[in-house]
Amino acid sequence: MTDQLHEPQLALHVEDLTVSYDSKPALWDIDVDVPPGVMAAIVGPNGSGKTTFIKSVLGLVTPTAGHVRIFGQPYGAQRRKVGYVPQRSSVDWDFPTTALDVVTMGLYGRLGWLKRPGRAEREKAMASLEQVKMQDFADRQISQLSGGQQQRVFLARALVQQADIYFLDEPMAGVDATTERAIVGILHKLREQGKTVIVVHHDLQTVKSYFDWMVILNVRAIAQGPVDEVYTADNLRRAYGGQIALIERETFGDAEAGQQSGQM
Amino acid sequence: MLELLNDYTIQTVTMGAALLGISSGVLGCFAVLRKQSLLGDTLSHAALPGICIGFLIAGARDLGSILAGALVTGAAAALVVLALTRMSRLKTDAALGIALGVSFALGVVLLTYIQGTGNASQGGLDSFLFGQAAAILRSDLWIMGSIALASLLLVAALWKEFKLVSFDPGYAASLGMPVVVMEVAMTTMVALAVVVGLQMVGVVLMTAMIIAPPVAARQWTRRLGTMVVLSAIFGTVAGVTGAILSATARGLSTGPLIVLAISAIVLVSLLVSPERGIIWEMVRRWRDRRALRARQVLTTLHAMAEQHGNRHYPAELGSLDTFHGTDTRRALARLEDRGLIRPVAHEPEITPHWELTQSGYAEAERLAAEIVGDR
Repeated sequence: MTDQLHEPQLALHVEDLTVSYDSKPALWDIDVDVPPGVMAAIVGPNGSGKTTFIKSVLGLVTPTAGHVRIFGQPYGAQRRKVGYVPQRSSVDWDFPTTALDVVTMGLYGRLGWLKRPGRAEREKAMASLEQVKMQDFADRQISQLSGGQQQRVFLARALVQQADIYFLDEPMAGVDATTERAIVGILHKLREQGKTVIVVHHDLQTVKSYFDWMVILNVRAIAQGPVDEVYTADNLRRAYGGQIALIERETFGDAEAGQQSGQM
Repeated sequence: MLELLNDYTIQTVTMGAALLGISSGVLGCFAVLRKQSLLGDTLSHAALPGICIGFLIAGARDLGSILAGALVTGAAAALVVLALTRMSRLKTDAALGIALGVSFALGVVLLTYIQGTGNASQGGLDSFLFGQAAAILRSDLWIMGSIALASLLLVAALWKEFKLVSFDPGYAASLGMPVVVMEVAMTTMVALAVVVGLQMVGVVLMTAMIIAPPVAARQWTRRLGTMVVLSAIFGTVAGVTGAILSATARGLSTGPLIVLAISAIVLVSLLVSPERGIIWEMVRRWRDRRALRARQVLTTLHAMAEQHGNRHYPAELGSLDTFHGTDTRRALARLEDRGLIRPVAHEPEITPHWELTQSGYAEAERLAAEIVGDR
């Protein structure tokens, strides 16, 4: 089963995926395909199953039905090719450890049992910290970092994994504009290197400028494909329902009405 | 003192207390960091029925079977907690409370049953309730020592795995670590730590030995490695102190003395440790408030100067006090020390007046720009 490749031309292939918590479906009968080398946004209203989607792809929640393939193989066989950035709020930042140590954790999977991270691992982790411009904070206790800095440390931990496909859960949530630009810059660089980047994203306003691929979820997969084709008022209305009126006026109405209304 | 150290009982007690301190200090760290402090409480109370069952099976006060029984019922209680939270809508705290209550009640019933049978060797079984250091035998130390050593070796071998699973279990799972197995291992270790300390501290207070040393250690360090070592040291110091006090002043119960000793360490750590201590925090807040007051006064002086179109507008102390609704004299004195303002005479008034200096004006401009920048 594991030897046989299934849809190997796709970076991510999800078929018939259904996940339920307490018999309430979080995702229902989802088919999602993401080609390699794109930067994809996963958008959808709150509770639409975006995080559940990533978690079930990474095997962190067990799906009720369906299967997931990464470059043609199940996740278990492709772990080394996958980097993961969980939501920042999912951990306790008062844990007694330093930024560099957190980044080094990205190498634990590769190190294997009983082996301890040594100088080589520290150097790799340091290089990752430099990529996110956090090298000056390497020895800082993680509780003393700002939200944006913590997010960058998490990103560095995924970068050190040297993966081919990255999954990021709301990396831009609660960070300031500067950090957001820095994070997007790093993700674009990854895409230039031919990596696939899949991001749970909450801000519809920036989808068009940041991403080139898009998946709209609301328990079901509403639409997916290149942003230019998928980012339509019709698709967004189907996912967000009534909540969309505001967004629609801003992103679609304004273009025609000559950029009248400003901020929310 | 030397005489004291040569005493056979005291030697035994001290070694036992040290073993207890090391194992509960190290293993407790992971429980506390995983927010499972109260698991120790449930596990230790759940040990009581195991102690009694172990005694009944062995038919005598044989430490090996007693501790094995304690471990089994402790583990059973942990499983019950896990099952309750997974399969029912109970939250962890409620499940822990239920498991604790049921198993402790069961334990006390069994204990009174054994006492009722009049078995001559049951003497000392109730010492497991509050601990009795003097009852420890040299041979018991071997059992305690092997359990402590085994769990410490496990921690050393799986150090990075335990660290990652404690910090970010989701990410650990994404790397392919068997998170559930690791969590079971860590829970088992807490149960082992409880078992090591049962004779010394007793089931009722054992949880303090799991929670208190890590909490105290966390105050002094920002690294897990240092925290674990410090925690072991604190646990050992408290254990030995309590045990020796109890052994010398006969009649005083060991467990409570040890717990009081570790509580004193916790109290001191919470108060005076740098960065995280309460006193440190108070000093920092006081400094912040002082700095803020100075900035406010400086900004006011700047605003008055701007309003009057005069960089060296002399502001009157009384008007500053009124504006801020409090005495600004001390803030003004500090600003003067920093060379940002200077006192001036303003004829014919005789009250104190202050004006901005060149650098004071520049500093106020910088602050104003900073406030605008924040928006």
